Amino acid sequence: MNGTGLCRGETLTTDHLVKVYRGVDRPALNELTLSIGEGQIFGLLGPNGAGKTTAISVMNTFLRPTSGGVTVCGIDAVKYPRRARKLIGYVPQDIALYPDLSARENLRFFGRIYGLRGKGLERRINECAEFVGLERNLDQRIFTFSGGMKRRANLAAGLIHEPKVLFLDEPTVGIDPQSRNLILERLATLKDKTTMVYTTHYMREAELLCSYVVIMDAGEIIAEGAPEDLLRRDPSCTNLEELFIALTGKQLRD
Amino acid sequence: MLKLWSCVRKELLLLCRDRVGLLVIFLMPVVLVIVVTLVQENVLRSMGETKTQVLFLDRDSGVVGRQMEEIIRKSDAVTIVKEIAGKQIDVEAAKLAVAKGDFQCAVVIPEGTTKAFMKKTREAVENSLAASSAKGKVRKDRLQEPAPRFLIYFDPALSETLRLGLTSLFEKVIMGIEMKEKMRVFSELLPVHLEAAAKEAMGPLWSEENRKMVSGARIEWDNAPIMVVEEKAAQYGAPVLRPNTVQQNVPAWTLFGMFFIVVPLAGSLIGERQTGMLTRLFVMPLSYLTMISGKIISYVIICVVQFALIMAIGRFVLPIFGAPVLNVGSAPAALILITVSAGLAASGYGILLGTVARTYEQASMFGAVSVVIFAALGGIMVPVYVMPKVMQSISVFSPLSWGLRAFQEVFVRGGTVRSVLPDTTLMLLFFVTTTLIAWFYMSQRGRTRIQ
Repeated sequence: MNGTGLCRGETLTTDHLVKVYRGVDRPALNELTLSIGEGQIFGLLGPNGAGKTTAISVMNTFLRPTSGGVTVCGIDAVKYPRRARKLIGYVPQDIALYPDLSARENLRFFGRIYGLRGKGLERRINECAEFVGLERNLDQRIFTFSGGMKRRANLAAGLIHEPKVLFLDEPTVGIDPQSRNLILERLATLKDKTTMVYTTHYMREAELLCSYVVIMDAGEIIAEGAPEDLLRRDPSCTNLEELFIALTGKQLRD
Repeated sequence: MLKLWSCVRKELLLLCRDRVGLLVIFLMPVVLVIVVTLVQENVLRSMGETKTQVLFLDRDSGVVGRQMEEIIRKSDAVTIVKEIAGKQIDVEAAKLAVAKGDFQCAVVIPEGTTKAFMKKTREAVENSLAASSAKGKVRKDRLQEPAPRFLIYFDPALSETLRLGLTSLFEKVIMGIEMKEKMRVFSELLPVHLEAAAKEAMGPLWSEENRKMVSGARIEWDNAPIMVVEEKAAQYGAPVLRPNTVQQNVPAWTLFGMFFIVVPLAGSLIGERQTGMLTRLFVMPLSYLTMISGKIISYVIICVVQFALIMAIGRFVLPIFGAPVLNVGSAPAALILITVSAGLAASGYGILLGTVARTYEQASMFGAVSVVIFAALGGIMVPVYVMPKVMQSISVFSPLSWGLRAFQEVFVRGGTVRSVLPDTTLMLLFFVTTTLIAWFYMSQRGRTRIQ
């Protein structure tokens, strides 16, 4: 890492990642090699079953790859997962918060797990709440929140320790346009400090937010590049959604 | 350490906010211990295992009533009650109170009992003396006269054994009074009888000096018992306190309450798994050991609080309802050891259940039923010694039976840390085994997850 807190050069790399689940012949990830530079918002796109969540789960140290490697800010995340976890933030698809605790109590708990304490922790709680527009609701219990508020609190919990790499697994699913807009706006402001890996089914979101996208299918990369570069390569598509359908087909995925 | 403390605080905070969980953890065992103890206390009372309450109505206010009351009051088995709610009672009110089961029996001494009793006693002694005299006339008409009666009204639900016991007690009391009165009358009549007999035998030789000598004859009865019945419990080793309903129920339902933490504990694990919280926690710098230790410590703290609360109920609340005061023995360190061991055993079981069960419904149903089975086997509901031999041999496999045995060792037999070590060791082994099985199951299920 450099003095500003960013990692030098590539923040996150994967090297020929293979993941095969027990009892399944086809690999969920097949030789996935990525190189994500600092401050990048990296979009991981694909239909259901493409391997996006598996890729995130291996990269964020939740799953062990069948083969291949992952480095986070130069740390071998497969060999030293605990070291890597200090640098990683994760915003899961589910609202992974304690509904009977207030937003402040949830953030305080997560902050303490990352070793924050005292005034520094309270300052970060207030900053994160303000960042997601929940500063007035900090002492409200999560179960009283609307869907959008829960999503924003979920995001705040992933940011509490100022991670170097933030994994966002469909963070805007099922919320109102206002909350989605706020989340996207705020995430865009983070890119100077945090490298992000973002999965979504909303292609418009990826087009607006991501500096680089990878389209996956059946555990493999089928296209990658900056959104505008991808569209330039296929003039028949006017937006990322059309390109996505063109690449992955119209067949339903379950 | 900060992480562990954070996990403990979070768990305790979540438990404090979980109203249903709090009801299961605290209110349920408290209600159970009060209700079951008082119900059993009432049953034992009707079986004569506790002091029997007797309504005593002395309408005569004479010597018989006074002596009877005095002797009954000395009995350990009976308590005399002369008023209900601070008011004097009449025969009808007494019969109603007994019929309702508020009292086991009512003793009524009718007006004129003492007079009739004295008359009958004197006549009996006179007849006896007359029968032994050559010229004495036995008045057979007196023998036909009915003896004065006092009445006992029994609760119809009273056990036959207790009814016979009480009847026997009252007969013994009457016999004692009768004997005393007969001796008194005999002492009074003997000089008169002797004088008459001697005067007749001596004829003209009878003098004033003889009369003084005979009339001065007095009998001083020695009231010291001639033979005493000594009761002793057949037992080996050190003397034991007799376990009463409180000594049995308070530790028993405390353990039951402790083991019911398996439901909220398993529920919290399943909830974390289902909401994706576990995934989030697994990608944080937090080890599985710290996470689980946080839960275990929190729930052991809850168990200690449960224990203190229910002990306080045994000491201070149950006596208000007439139950005996709980005797907690004199080894607080042993009690802490038992409580912590039982808390750990319950936590281990909860973690195993929360790991193996797929849904909260599965865990709550299986957890509750299995704890009830463990409790039934462990002697929580019915003491192990009254179970059939087969069930007694099965009961040794219930962790609740180990806990209860250890508590009884301290409460009843004056046990120490050393004497409860075998049972607490079993509970700790149960904790280690269940936790290891849970860990093994967890690692098998998520074999590809990075630990």
